[in-house]
Amino acid sequence: MPAAPTEIRGIGVGSVPAVGTVFILTPSEAAYEHRSTHHTPDEEASVLATAIATTAATIRSETAHSDATAADILEALLMVMEDPELQLMARPHLDVGDDAPTALFKALDGLAQIMGDDEDFLSRVSDLRGIAVRISGWVRGIAAGPGIPQEGTWIIVAEDLTPLETSQFGPSVAGVVTELGGPTSHTAIICRALSLPAVVSARGAMGLSQGESVLVDPEGNRVLVGSSLSNATQALTFHPQSDTPLITVRANIGGLADAEKASKTSARGVGLFRTEVLYLSATKEPTVAEQKASYVEVLRAAPAGKVIIRTIDAGSDKPIPFLRIEDEENPALGMRGFRLHVDHEVFLASQLTAIAQAIDETGRDVGVMAPMVSTIAEVATFAQMCSAAGIRQVGIMIETPAIISVLPDLAGMISFLSIGTNDLSQYLFAADRMHPQLGEFNNPWQPGLLRNVKLIADHAVTLDIPVGVCGESAADPLLAIVFAGLGIGSLSVAPSAVTDVHDALSSVTATQAAEAARVALAAHGPEDAKTLVRALFAETP
Amino acid sequence: MSESMIHSVVVRDPIGLHARPVGQIVKAVKESGLVVTLRTSAGAEALATSALRMLALKVKHGESIDIIVKSEDLEVSRTLAITIEALINEG
Repeated sequence: MPAAPTEIRGIGVGSVPAVGTVFILTPSEAAYEHRSTHHTPDEEASVLATAIATTAATIRSETAHSDATAADILEALLMVMEDPELQLMARPHLDVGDDAPTALFKALDGLAQIMGDDEDFLSRVSDLRGIAVRISGWVRGIAAGPGIPQEGTWIIVAEDLTPLETSQFGPSVAGVVTELGGPTSHTAIICRALSLPAVVSARGAMGLSQGESVLVDPEGNRVLVGSSLSNATQALTFHPQSDTPLITVRANIGGLADAEKASKTSARGVGLFRTEVLYLSATKEPTVAEQKASYVEVLRAAPAGKVIIRTIDAGSDKPIPFLRIEDEENPALGMRGFRLHVDHEVFLASQLTAIAQAIDETGRDVGVMAPMVSTIAEVATFAQMCSAAGIRQVGIMIETPAIISVLPDLAGMISFLSIGTNDLSQYLFAADRMHPQLGEFNNPWQPGLLRNVKLIADHAVTLDIPVGVCGESAADPLLAIVFAGLGIGSLSVAPSAVTDVHDALSSVTATQAAEAARVALAAHGPEDAKTLVRALFAETP
Repeated sequence: MSESMIHSVVVRDPIGLHARPVGQIVKAVKESGLVVTLRTSAGAEALATSALRMLALKVKHGESIDIIVKSEDLEVSRTLAITIEALINEG
């Protein structure tokens, strides 16, 4: 009997499994190491110039088809790399006997030092180093670049992936496995966008061998060595028993295009309209009339049903061109969300006025909510601002632990609640959503999160107001059922996820959902929770 | 006889003069074949053909910089300076 295949567990992204050959994306140590040379500095300088020019040309041809923004950034990086100044900075290192790649690495270190506190630049230094490693590989004759073959079916295995690396994925890439990264990390977002199955936060992935065949099983949150598609965990299929889901399913939108997309789905209204998207490209503050025109347009296109608008949600890491937001040490814990009203009260008031006018003009059923509130005073201020603007349905996002415990005190101030599970997880677990090693903390199946969702739902019953969930987590059909069982009254998901969530919620009874919630709440870890809930529905005919 | 034209710009991009516009400026200046220099209010200068030098100016949001273009044709200079301004603030 063959031994059971080696299994590596992680967090699955996507639901369709893939089998392919492991392609480990770690340039060999030889490309990174510092070396000296017996060539003259002039000879080595000429090698460096040729290596930079050749590698830049290769990267340009590899990324000719990536999206415009990614291509622009890459082009800027290549221009820095090709800048003769950089070669001048490398020269002193060549003069003391370093080989071309070593001098280039040291020149980049020097550059990073000059740029010091420039965060935008520093965030690109790892990409510049990535390009330098490819240049090094070219000089030293090592396959150092991604250099993913165009033929074949490859599963890319890496510690984590940079935008430079993901931008080079072609049709020969069938799946991705990363040792680090979480469900909302860069790698996961890109894989979702490319419809590539992935398992992230897969401890032990770097122990896989180049060239062996593996099964990427995102539904099972695992990678199986030497296994075939027939062993993949089947995505659950739900067979709707009615047209009416157990709880209301709405759509998340950011603007007109999303609203139009959402209106073609079975979404009953909009549960989260992220208004900051409207302002990202404005270089100066739009007038009330301009804002109103945008809201009218979106409200007219949005699917029938209630529409919940969230006021502007920005921060120093998520800047809006015309709102001055100081750089901060710790943007996630800084001036963001509703806290912006302190410095930008006039703008926020203009946004509320524009929304109120758009409600009058379209006659739509609209609620307006504030992002990231944590005190009773903030909620009172927001309620007053809405009332002054003539907005009647006022709500808040639940994203901070502090607001949960004071919910009973908000009676009479607000008429609905919406849970943002992404940020709520980040703040409950004190774990950065984008941190490559903290993916597990941000897993929405964490009992620590689910038990808080239950607490919020119970408070909502006492307050006698509706509560919804609008985080990424609600797009998981199984978790959607759990939320319904926890007493959540509506979910809001990306337009592309509406059908799956709607179908799942139309195929279960309230009793089944309550059982799913009971099982998930009792679990001791996110894996247990998901496995046990999954088992409840796996046999559904 | 080529003359210098100076065009002052306030950087409105919240993250200042950063990698993406800098790359686009290098491209535009190289295509024009003209000599363009950026100068900060503190007097630091960088040739606009060097992405590195421009980034090292570390121009922040709200700072003013001079775009200095050398050309025989003032109209050509002005057009290029306005193109660069657009790249800085909209690119």
